[in-house]
Amino acid sequence: MKQSALNKAEANAREVTSERQKAALQKTVTDLLAKKAVYLVIGYGCSARGDVVPLFVRRVEEAKQLEWNQHCTYNLVRYLTDPDVVGDPEARSKDAGKGSGTAKPGAGKVAVVVKGCDLKSLVVLQSENQVQRERLAVIALPCSGVTDQTGRLLAKCESCPPDVYNPREELCDLMVGEPVQRSGGRNAGKTDSDNRDSGYGDVEEIDALSPAERRALWDGYFARCLRCYACRNVCPLCYCKECVFDQHDPRWVSPAAAVASNRSFHLIRAYHLAGRCVDCGECERACPVGIPLRRINRKAAMVVEESFHFRAGLDPEAKSPLVDFANEDPQEFIE
Amino acid sequence: MKKLKIVGFLCNWCSYAGADLAGVSRIQYPDEIRIIRVPCSGRINPLLVLKCFQEGADGVLVSGCHPGDCHYQEGNLYARRRMLLLRAMLSYFGIDERRFHMSWVSASEGKKWADTVRSLVEDVRAAQAEVKTGVPAW
Repeated sequence: MKQSALNKAEANAREVTSERQKAALQKTVTDLLAKKAVYLVIGYGCSARGDVVPLFVRRVEEAKQLEWNQHCTYNLVRYLTDPDVVGDPEARSKDAGKGSGTAKPGAGKVAVVVKGCDLKSLVVLQSENQVQRERLAVIALPCSGVTDQTGRLLAKCESCPPDVYNPREELCDLMVGEPVQRSGGRNAGKTDSDNRDSGYGDVEEIDALSPAERRALWDGYFARCLRCYACRNVCPLCYCKECVFDQHDPRWVSPAAAVASNRSFHLIRAYHLAGRCVDCGECERACPVGIPLRRINRKAAMVVEESFHFRAGLDPEAKSPLVDFANEDPQEFIE
Repeated sequence: MKKLKIVGFLCNWCSYAGADLAGVSRIQYPDEIRIIRVPCSGRINPLLVLKCFQEGADGVLVSGCHPGDCHYQEGNLYARRRMLLLRAMLSYFGIDERRFHMSWVSASEGKKWADTVRSLVEDVRAAQAEVKTGVPAW
């Protein structure tokens, strides 16, 4: 009883905080657009059905449509590598005469609304030179945690450390709202770089199974994969212009949704994210058939961390571990 | 016993020469490996290994120069990282990691080459013996 009363009080406090943040966010965005500091703001809005959806704000009067609440799960960093979204409309019109239809980055800036966890994927994009950081205005909001549609806190939020839910200021341009206080949580008092030990219980659970059991477990999941590629399309770090799964020559993986080709697909998808994935969880959220994709990504992250001592999303200057090596890398597996 | 189909990716400068030495030295080893010569172990895209498994290979071997001996200075050190991760991911999905070997074989190690292939063949057979009938190799 007492517990639920406490949760209710906490939920109320959270709502008050997010209402206040929302007002501050709308004001910040109004200012930015009014003084033409940016030509586009990527934020959260509300659909006609009442769901939170991505919202692209280009005019001052649209700023009041911006939303900020516990349903703002999307990682909007995804759009920053999409030229059709972030391209400067003026640069487009200048080019139009030359017959080029796609928008090119112009002189203006794009603003993006991020949570601390989303910010980490931007850090990776920066380290891979996929965004021009000086042409971004990063609006960060301290986050009290986001929930699924039933109102339950997402798993990634339960283990979120304080220097993620309160974004690191040196990584963003504008901070909206005060830092939030969150009680409990598995990583209370820890920082993002030192919460390693508590990190990978879900992966170790699978590692502890026998090979046959692991095979049966994953094949069960892969049997229901539809190969809709939602996990890839929603991923902020899958920005390749031509994806390896879309190539026909060579065709690395059959497009048929069969267990064998699905296994290859999921292995390669996770492999391409190894040392890059920041566990924003968008793939798992987008999966229509409930494949626990974070557990795949996190296995790769665990190996990278244990063997190459690297964790993604902390340093915009870092080199990705799979385009690097160290003389003392483990090699017990090599004859 | 049915013959295995094993694909070996060998770097041109060390392992391929090592395998050649095993041949000219008339060292006997199983003929169940098909060798593909590549410029460097750093050339081996993990996709190539996966493609082999998808197309029905029983085992795959990646072999390069010893650390420090790479013709291109550091290609094998990139390969080491890649193959470590690939092995871990294969194992995570329940594909027996004994089906995928990596080795360092220099141009003078004909004997080591033969031993490597022998142990690989043994490992692949052991892995196959543990898999229930009806479960496809990939």
